[in-house]
Amino acid sequence: MRHISKFFFSVCILLLSFLGNAQEEIAVKPAKGVPEESANKKDSIPPKKERYGLRVGVDLFKLTRSFYETDYRGLELVGDYRLTRRHYLAAEIGNEDKTVSDDQVNFTTKGTYLKAGFDYNSFQNWGNMENIISVGLRYGVSSFSQTLNSYQVYNPNPYFGESPVIISGENFDGLSAQWIEVVAGMKAEVLNNIFVGFSVRLNRLVSQKRPDNFDNLYIPGFNRTYNGDFGVGFNYTVSYFIPLYKATVKAKEKAIKGKSKKEKKK
Amino acid sequence: MKKILFLLFITITFIGCEKDDICIDETTPRLILEFYDISNPSNLKNVVNLKIKGVGLTDDLGTFNNISKVELPLKIDDLTTKYSLILNSTGVNPNEDFLQFNYTHQNIFVTRACGYKTIFELDAFPTGVIKTDAATPDGFWIQDINILTTNIETENETHIKILF
Repeated sequence: MRHISKFFFSVCILLLSFLGNAQEEIAVKPAKGVPEESANKKDSIPPKKERYGLRVGVDLFKLTRSFYETDYRGLELVGDYRLTRRHYLAAEIGNEDKTVSDDQVNFTTKGTYLKAGFDYNSFQNWGNMENIISVGLRYGVSSFSQTLNSYQVYNPNPYFGESPVIISGENFDGLSAQWIEVVAGMKAEVLNNIFVGFSVRLNRLVSQKRPDNFDNLYIPGFNRTYNGDFGVGFNYTVSYFIPLYKATVKAKEKAIKGKSKKEKKK
Repeated sequence: MKKILFLLFITITFIGCEKDDICIDETTPRLILEFYDISNPSNLKNVVNLKIKGVGLTDDLGTFNNISKVELPLKIDDLTTKYSLILNSTGVNPNEDFLQFNYTHQNIFVTRACGYKTIFELDAFPTGVIKTDAATPDGFWIQDINILTTNIETENETHIKILF
């Protein structure tokens, strides 16, 4: 698992560097929507306005997986609302139905989850671009049920023959779990108001209600559980931005931005 | 577009990553028998060429020599397991006794990698362990049976003392 996380994050860092390169090339040209003349005359740039609003979308990863994987059905809707220049309220709501076939157990988990929290956009956009590279936190809750379809008793000494597969069908209802997620993600506007993005998540269970004589091996929203309460998640979203109002960027923030521009030029 | 392709690549890469645990916990226990000296019941006594075979099977569990402890697997899908124990199996005077264990069992969840294990509880005295002689009677070599615990949950303890 450690290798997976390591690889994941190094891939993220790699991706971030790509994006950084792309932005710098564009930055040479005048910003979108600003006339060329005024762009050259630094002082006459009109006060910059940024759009605020609600973004809603869907996780394409879960959606497509439902088509090509017979043991999986899932849907996740995502949304965020821009609170301040850099902060977004963010939430995901979803439903999953997954059958896991391990060596020793075969079970089905069904349930609904909700995650809510915030994202912090650490990306310096040029011009009117609205791309996001964010880190954030979520608190997740899930309510689910499990069905133990079948299992095989682990017998290290099969002198009397291999243990048979036992068909169980036992149902465990009313299970729940709560967890905290650390999210790293990015979103890029590919068409007018349409964003694609992805995020990776590290999860830590806070509490869970375990079934008797079984365990929560998969939790909707949290994904597969590992020993030590940790988990990982991933989503790949396409979303639509609904602009609600525009706000002028404050002078103080602009000053900071100008400073960082100069630093970059050095 | 390149970015999207790259993301798809990552997605596909990680679909296959799931199974990575190995079962390392203690699972289904065997029945632990220890052999003691009948003339001095607190002293262990080594067996001599003790051949142990599950009744109904063609392969024996093994022939044990110069040890005082054996581990017998129990049937996890039955309520009774019967073993034939032949002392001096390679000598001129082999002596066969049968031990039948009667029990109930229960499947307990361990971990994802191990799944379930079976634990046993021997029936109450005197039906938990039943000693019978060979088909052609040759007398008992097992003098006494002492059940130390009826709960067969771990191999870290001795469950039954055999005195001979």
